[in-house]
Amino acid sequence: MNNNQDELKGEIKRMVVENLMLKIKPGEIGDAQPLFGPGGLGLDSVDALQLVVALDKNYGLKITDPEVAKGILQTVNSITHAIVATDPDR
Amino acid sequence: MNQRTILITGANGTLGRALAKNFLAESPDNFVWLGVHQRRESAAELAKADPNRSRVVSLDVTQSESWEAAVKEILAAHQRLDVLVNNAGTHDDAFLAQMKPESWRGVLAVNLDGVFYGCRAVLPAMISQHHGRIINIASLSALLAPAGQTNYAAAKAGVVSLTQSLAKEVARIGITVNAVCPGYLESEMLVGMDDAARQRALAQVPMRRFGKPEEVAAAVRFLACAGAGYLTGSVLKIDGGIF
Repeated sequence: MNNNQDELKGEIKRMVVENLMLKIKPGEIGDAQPLFGPGGLGLDSVDALQLVVALDKNYGLKITDPEVAKGILQTVNSITHAIVATDPDR
Repeated sequence: MNQRTILITGANGTLGRALAKNFLAESPDNFVWLGVHQRRESAAELAKADPNRSRVVSLDVTQSESWEAAVKEILAAHQRLDVLVNNAGTHDDAFLAQMKPESWRGVLAVNLDGVFYGCRAVLPAMISQHHGRIINIASLSALLAPAGQTNYAAAKAGVVSLTQSLAKEVARIGITVNAVCPGYLESEMLVGMDDAARQRALAQVPMRRFGKPEEVAAAVRFLACAGAGYLTGSVLKIDGGIF
């Protein structure tokens, strides 16, 4: 794990909180914490829609397939991997 | 909020121009994009009259790529898109037994596919903004389903259902989606109707007159305003009292 990826994870957490207007602090989201479903952050399909739009806008990450979105949006870690995979310089 | 960016499709028609004029008259902060495809003379004239607050944008509503290019152009200029009025429409009436498949397909392409592509094209910007107003121009035909209009009535009924379904999807994000259903309007939709047909149509209207495009534009302007923020998924008839 490098500093760039730690920064990126911080950015992603801020993006999640700001775009979904969550009443928590970005630092309260764990890197491996499930974003959806019980035991996780409790996000739903409308939240997923907003995250897909935000990822495209902020990182140019285009997710057109809902099944692919499910995989990418599982955790902050999985989102980070998807962004790095499209932009290895990060 | 300062400037409000509004896109109206089918802006060359009578109703499209009335919608544009109404928004321009509402506030100096409104900037109106006039979406036009083949016929563009009237829209171009309108934009020329108010070049600082209106502009023509090429838009074939039946083509997803055309929508993407138009929205890209608008966002490049304004960085936001607040209101979409899906107004482009066409009809090609015939009894179903004699209706050519291309007539069916063509009417659905403009009236229903066009609304789908349009909503899909503007939603990323509206979701990012956490704000947006989509107003779909349906028709009384969606509710009354007159003979001779199976293609048009089916398309417009589809628009009504699309409106209500999409309204639920994006309500939480600050985006409202509503439909208006005009009845008989003094517009090109009545062109070609002979006197006898006009009289028969008029007899169906309790107000005994056809509607004015400006009366539909006033309702659309309301649905787009800040005060209508709790109104979504609604279908507003504007028809002189036909039930």
